[in-house]
Amino acid sequence: MTPIAGGVALNLAFGFSILTVFTLFLHTRNGDQRLFLTGQRLALGISFFVFLATFILTFQLIQSNFDIDYVARYTSLETPFIYKISALWAGQSGSLLFWLFILSVYTTIVILQNQRKHNSLMPWVIITLVIVQMFFLILTNYVTNPFKPTEADFIVTNGNGLNPLLQNVTMAIHPPTLYLGFVGFSVPFGFAISALINGDTSPLWIQSIRRWALVAWLFLSMGIILGGWWAYRELGWGGYWAWDPVENASFMPWLTATAFIHSIIIQEKKDMLRLWNMSLIIMTFTLCIFGTFLTRSGVMSSVHSFTASSLGPIFLTFVFLIIVVSFGMMYFRRNELKSPRKMESFTSRESGFLFNNMVFVVLCFSVFWGTLFPVISEAVRGTKITVGPPFFNQINIPIGLILLALTGIGPLLAWRKTGRKNLIRNFTFPILTGLSTATILLFIGFRGYVVISFSLGAFVTATIGTEFARGIHARRKKFDESIIKALIRMVSKNRSRYGGYVVHLGIVFMFVGFTGHAFDDEKEFSLTVGETDHVAGYTFELLQLSEAERANHYAWISDLRVTNQEGTFVTNLHPEKRIYFHNNPDPNRRQPHSELDIYTTMNQDIYSIFSGVDSENGVAFIKIMVNPLVRWVWVGGFILVFGTIVALWPRKD
Amino acid sequence: MNSNKKFFLMIIGIISMVIFWISWVSMNPADEKAMTTFVSVDELINDNINHRTKLGGLVKDGSIAISKTNYLDCTFVLKEGNTELDVKYGRTRPDLFKDGVEVIVTGQYLNGVFYADELQTKCASRYEGDLRNESSYNLNEIDS
Repeated sequence: MTPIAGGVALNLAFGFSILTVFTLFLHTRNGDQRLFLTGQRLALGISFFVFLATFILTFQLIQSNFDIDYVARYTSLETPFIYKISALWAGQSGSLLFWLFILSVYTTIVILQNQRKHNSLMPWVIITLVIVQMFFLILTNYVTNPFKPTEADFIVTNGNGLNPLLQNVTMAIHPPTLYLGFVGFSVPFGFAISALINGDTSPLWIQSIRRWALVAWLFLSMGIILGGWWAYRELGWGGYWAWDPVENASFMPWLTATAFIHSIIIQEKKDMLRLWNMSLIIMTFTLCIFGTFLTRSGVMSSVHSFTASSLGPIFLTFVFLIIVVSFGMMYFRRNELKSPRKMESFTSRESGFLFNNMVFVVLCFSVFWGTLFPVISEAVRGTKITVGPPFFNQINIPIGLILLALTGIGPLLAWRKTGRKNLIRNFTFPILTGLSTATILLFIGFRGYVVISFSLGAFVTATIGTEFARGIHARRKKFDESIIKALIRMVSKNRSRYGGYVVHLGIVFMFVGFTGHAFDDEKEFSLTVGETDHVAGYTFELLQLSEAERANHYAWISDLRVTNQEGTFVTNLHPEKRIYFHNNPDPNRRQPHSELDIYTTMNQDIYSIFSGVDSENGVAFIKIMVNPLVRWVWVGGFILVFGTIVALWPRKD
Repeated sequence: MNSNKKFFLMIIGIISMVIFWISWVSMNPADEKAMTTFVSVDELINDNINHRTKLGGLVKDGSIAISKTNYLDCTFVLKEGNTELDVKYGRTRPDLFKDGVEVIVTGQYLNGVFYADELQTKCASRYEGDLRNESSYNLNEIDS
């Protein structure tokens, strides 16, 4: 009975979405306020039914109602409670419903927040958001329904269970965070479309969405970082980023979104770049939907991909419609999109932002090119080609380093034009810091990109430091405050600016971490108890090999003692080899899984994988990787999140 | 020249540099692992392709042999359609590697043997396929 209610809720939501669009459209024609109110309530009705459907599915997952196909596929009686809930986004139809759920939460917030604000913009904002909801409602109602019952001719007494790789706390958080980011860009997109339709392209719409864009950007960044963190700790290939099509699918909208949150500052302050901002948000939203398409269509082979399905063409049509309609409207409004002001000088903050924007878009294009190159190559030359990480690294490392340099240069430029005297004054200390770092590194014996990356990092850190120091100094001179008080006052007076600098510092940390990749070391070997082997100056001794049967798996546990060159004890590592579904009578259904163990410091990670076991002879097969500076990436991620929260923190007034 | 024109020229300049850079890297990748051609097992054997390639196929049932002296070394037979190919692989095997699974191998073909240095398994089917055929266990068929 309850599952049927879920299906009906989705049906009703779809019906309400049609009514909403119709009512609000009528309102925009005749201006009747009652229609606007009705439309808002109908739109809230859609969200209500979507919430209902989502709660019903979650409840069925918790209850293990295997009469529902989705529940039988992704959970079993043994699945721990938290992963029964996270199964909601583990599979195709559930994750689409979850996507719709988040969009409905956002739509509800937008409607409630703007009941008395932005009256001219709101009708079209709601229509745009509801049309996006409608698309996902069509998918969940008619293409891949999460409430589809199990086939009637057999009873499922226990379900498949969740993939052990997904039974990880990060994996329970990563997809929702990413979705919150992806879906979050629908709101700025809605406002953009509304501004275009109304022909009011002044900075008004930008002011109403600056926070939304930043929130969505924060979630998207966190989602991407968590994904890397999960891959690093769970997948066992020792890396956090592989330029996999689906990773790229989340990275591309992040790049255009990052450009967007920079360039809207220019439109807010100077009313320039109207056309550019409009294009950026449309690109970002399109890339979010396109990213979902890449994940679902099976066009790309990837660790993330759901199997090939009928969703591809539907998604592609939707992407095509978004592009045609939005850019068509931009063409129609091309006169209103002309900015009243012009750039004055190359050495201005405005042009710094413009260059940073161009580099972001260029980076996005190169990722796009590499991701789609296999498809293009197959269509044009008929040969199937796969593009690996070396290709992306070769193209993107130089572009990324230019971007890092601009991170330092931009904030030191003044609005309109920076005079020669100021240029010298602002840049002397940071450039000297960068150059001396480079000299020291070259002297130690480092070469190539490593030197450039670290020196630029030092340069950017110096510019951020200078900015903070100068601001604090000015306040102390004026108000006679203590350093701490001056710092707090200064930041809270201009949160987005100083929050932004903190984010930049996080980015520097991450670049340091990325650079560490150049020094990775690895070795695969076998050990019996008491034997030792060496990797990167460390000695690994197998002390013990034990076995254990646990609730949902069987495990072989190794005990590795790690000592350094001087023979000093470093740590004990306990990587495990596990067999999930070990009670299954059919050996083919049992699933092996390597649970890794990592010893991590700011300096380097020692990453151990228990790749295989010969239990008769007591031999463990171990793979060790020594990855320098990886922790800098995660610390950088924390700094980035902290900085964004500072920038987002609401003012008291 | 007014500043708008200067900016316009600058932008055009940057765009053309980028297009040049991307196409240059696409034509001359620095690393042989940057781009790999996907070929069928038939093509590989018939054309005797000796550069680095990627192949897809199924692991033939019962063909996996693991070296007694070094557990990492293994050989197996890759089947694509009716064509079979001996594959040698000497690194950590993915957890899901076993008889009958679909794998993608990357490496070089020399004297009738494919020396793989990358081995990926595809496992999606277990989670998206027909519940009746793919399910782990505990299905009770109803007699009708």
